[in-house]
Amino acid sequence: MDTVLEAKGLVREYGPVVAVNGVDLSLQQGEFLGIFGPNGAGKSSLLGMLGGGLRPTSGSVSICGEPLNFSEVDWRYRVGVLSHQGFLYEQLTAKENLQFYGQLFGLTELDSRIGRRLEQVGLTERAGSRVSELSHGMRHRLSLARTLLHDPDVVLLDEPFTGLDPSASAVLRDVLRELKDGSRTVVMVTHNLSEGLELATHITIQVSGRLAWQGMAAEVDRVGFGRFYHDVVEGHP
Amino acid sequence: MSLYLQQIKVIFWKDLLLEFRTKERLIAMAAFAVLTGILFNYTLDTTRLQPQDVAAGLIWMTIVFGGLLGVGRTFHLENQDGAFQGILMSPTPRDAVFIGKTLANFLLLYVIALLVLWVFTFLFALEIGGSIWALLLALALGSLAFVALGTLFAAVSSGTHMGETLLPILVFPLLLPVVIWGGVVTGRLLAGRPVSEVVGSIRLLGAFALVAMAAGALLFRFVVED
Amino acid sequence: MSTLELRRTGTMLTVLGLLGLVVVYWLSFFWVSTEASQGVAQRIFYVHVPAAWTAFLGFGIAALASGMYLWLRDERFDRTALCAAEGGMIFATIMITTGPLWGRIAWGTYWTREPRLTLTLLMWFIFLGYFLVRRSSENPEKGKRYAAVTAIMGALLIPFIHVSVLWFRSLHPQPVVLRTDGGPALPGDMLTLLLTSLAVFTMLFVGLFMLRYALEGLRNDITLRARKAVS
Repeated sequence: MDTVLEAKGLVREYGPVVAVNGVDLSLQQGEFLGIFGPNGAGKSSLLGMLGGGLRPTSGSVSICGEPLNFSEVDWRYRVGVLSHQGFLYEQLTAKENLQFYGQLFGLTELDSRIGRRLEQVGLTERAGSRVSELSHGMRHRLSLARTLLHDPDVVLLDEPFTGLDPSASAVLRDVLRELKDGSRTVVMVTHNLSEGLELATHITIQVSGRLAWQGMAAEVDRVGFGRFYHDVVEGHP
Repeated sequence: MSLYLQQIKVIFWKDLLLEFRTKERLIAMAAFAVLTGILFNYTLDTTRLQPQDVAAGLIWMTIVFGGLLGVGRTFHLENQDGAFQGILMSPTPRDAVFIGKTLANFLLLYVIALLVLWVFTFLFALEIGGSIWALLLALALGSLAFVALGTLFAAVSSGTHMGETLLPILVFPLLLPVVIWGGVVTGRLLAGRPVSEVVGSIRLLGAFALVAMAAGALLFRFVVED
Repeated sequence: MSTLELRRTGTMLTVLGLLGLVVVYWLSFFWVSTEASQGVAQRIFYVHVPAAWTAFLGFGIAALASGMYLWLRDERFDRTALCAAEGGMIFATIMITTGPLWGRIAWGTYWTREPRLTLTLLMWFIFLGYFLVRRSSENPEKGKRYAAVTAIMGALLIPFIHVSVLWFRSLHPQPVVLRTDGGPALPGDMLTLLLTSLAVFTMLFVGLFMLRYALEGLRNDITLRARKAVS
């Protein structure tokens, strides 16, 4: 299988603060990586760099063998990012938000794409509602539709389950499961160990800007993982 | 239509649609323009002073201050839910983003500039003696130069914790040519002088607008990267 | 050059520059002949003109280094720009304070919209913005980029500002006593002193710049060491 997403020696500094301190990653097509870690471990910065939203202080990221070049735009078609912010305009309707985003990508058959994604996240009936009228969970689902609108090969998710009610979580879980169709590569940063373990194929624990532990989800002892995670986080200097 | 032009158009229309739905900036700028006109109307002793002698300068200063009010908030809605980051993660070249947003700001400011012109001619009972078309062109070029600088530095100041208070310090020193040439063109045309007398200034104003626009489009990418 | 060498050379040049300044002052008060039409007040020119030259040297280097920084992202260019801009600010302040003092005596008024004075004052404000955007960004790297953009924008538009203030002046006659164009060339001793003073100011600028650059280097080292100590 091909390596889709690869990071070498990633470092990101914010002045004197080092958020990410030398991370190497390699993900094949169809793999789903769950990144766990305490607050301030640099998970969001790592995800930002993988998606090309954040420029690394040093190191490089490549997608399908091509290094990310900030002055080019082609690789951005391959990446979809769901951040902790929604990237939505409150004054536009759900459909207008997706149209705006889709037109920036120059997508063809935009209307049918939008229809399909809205249906997938269960928002078909709210297509004409302004985002300011949507509940938190609905907004989140709309953001997910926006992330997937251009059919990215690499999907990056930052804490997707935070603050969701059970029904929104269920929709999200279903959509994420559909992403595991073998063609996409997914990276998910999360606090939520059980959701992460259930969805991911690969697991890593990030502490103080470094990947402290990596393993396969299938080989992890699910019952004892909470304790193990705690030991890794505490044991790291 | 190439994708580049489509992206400019999409951002332009999105900004106008947002403005049309909220009307925040338009109302603030329009009210500012009218109220400033009224205040000036009462601070100047028109029994001792010929209004047309000072009107040109007042018109341009009102446009500049009013423009700052609106242009300074260019990135306010963009940053509310991180939507601007969404734009940056799309395959839209940074210069297209800049041009789209600047053109939307331009349209907004031009409407205000026309309002200012009308308010001052109305309140001070001024007659536009010269060519109205030349005056409208000068207002357009001056507004374009202003929004090019304003949009670039609004992006800069919105990334600092000083926010909009920083904007005048960054923009005003660079704006002197606009108020000098704009003021002279307006003054002469209000006084009924022929167009041939202002062509040179209008050209210089146009050159300035062009350079400000090109430089803004070029430098914008360094401002918005993370 | 290592930081230590920079500090040594910088100290040497600064001390030489300060000594030279004493000499320039002495010469301009006691040696050079008095200019016929303007009298004693003209002697301020031996400070005013070199200060203006050094200010624009500093701002010019700052703008160039800013461009290089955005292109190559090498910290050293940013440091160069910062230190040159600080030097430019100091000498611009000298220029815009000595100018009106002279103008009061020569023209009878402090401010006459003199184009070069206006230009320097605006440059001063552009670089005030440069320092403000730098320090008011939560992330230092972002502040550096903002500052560089501000400096480059200033450098690109400064020709327009210059043309516009010249043009404005041609439109509004000024209370001019001095006419520089077509006047006689500077007599020998005045020219000698002016050139000496230019050399002294430049040396002082380079010396201060080196010291300042070395200081930034040391600050950078401290940050790196603190980081190492943490990890």
